[in-house]
Amino acid sequence: MIVVPCPNCGPRNSSDLRNAGEVVARPDPATTSLTEWRSYLYLRENPAGWVTETWYCRSGCRRYFTIERNTSTNEIRESESS
Amino acid sequence: MSELEFMSPVGSGHLSTSDGGISLEDISDCTKVLVRAGRGTAAGVHLKVTYGRSRRRRDGTLICGSRPDEWTLLAGPGQGAAVVGSVSDEGFVSIVDISHGRAMLRISGSDSVDVLAKVCNVDLADDMTPDGAVFSGSVAKVTCDLVRDDRDAGRSYLISCERSFGGYLFAAMADACAEFGINVPAGLSVH
Repeated sequence: MIVVPCPNCGPRNSSDLRNAGEVVARPDPATTSLTEWRSYLYLRENPAGWVTETWYCRSGCRRYFTIERNTSTNEIRESESS
Repeated sequence: MSELEFMSPVGSGHLSTSDGGISLEDISDCTKVLVRAGRGTAAGVHLKVTYGRSRRRRDGTLICGSRPDEWTLLAGPGQGAAVVGSVSDEGFVSIVDISHGRAMLRISGSDSVDVLAKVCNVDLADDMTPDGAVFSGSVAKVTCDLVRDDRDAGRSYLISCERSFGGYLFAAMADACAEFGINVPAGLSVH
């Protein structure tokens, strides 16, 4: 079980939340190239280590927030609203 | 919507034990009004309840801080228009009567916390969810909004879910109550 600290609801089982994936900077659609846009939509780093992720508290406050999670150990070290 | 005849999705009324240890009641016909209001709006200031807490208004309406910047107002049956009219709609505010869209159960009695603990993933201890606490979580695998609304100095919880899950949720709760002495009527089994 992974315990994820929601900033509104407190620690919750990860089954109460949904992992919305790595935080990726959104390029400006007016100036970006097709390659950059495709990269934004489909490509992720997926490192074995620390990654900043967005989670959705679907059973609780229904808010999105970001945390840093170590994908090797599932250690979590930060929680903030986004 | 409030003028329409309410048809409960549950179809079973009230189950209880003779010793009063458990009472499971379908109260889906109660009025439920959802208010979403931005910070600083008159509605948000007037409701005066933070996320995770509830208070009862003088007219008996229970105001629940169900999400950040979101409240659920609970009242007796057929009061939708009155409750909607009691909230200021000035500014960035949404007020919707959701009485027909949600099922609601009340489970009361000294054993209610033990029954709920079997099927709910939220810590029901007094220090985490005291009387008046509003929280959301999984109840028998259904995402529900819960309010601890103690009655007569005894534990009591309001459990609300999407209407379509109401029948299943009542049956699942009745099943969880069975080991505490409730006779589950034929046809209500979840197995």
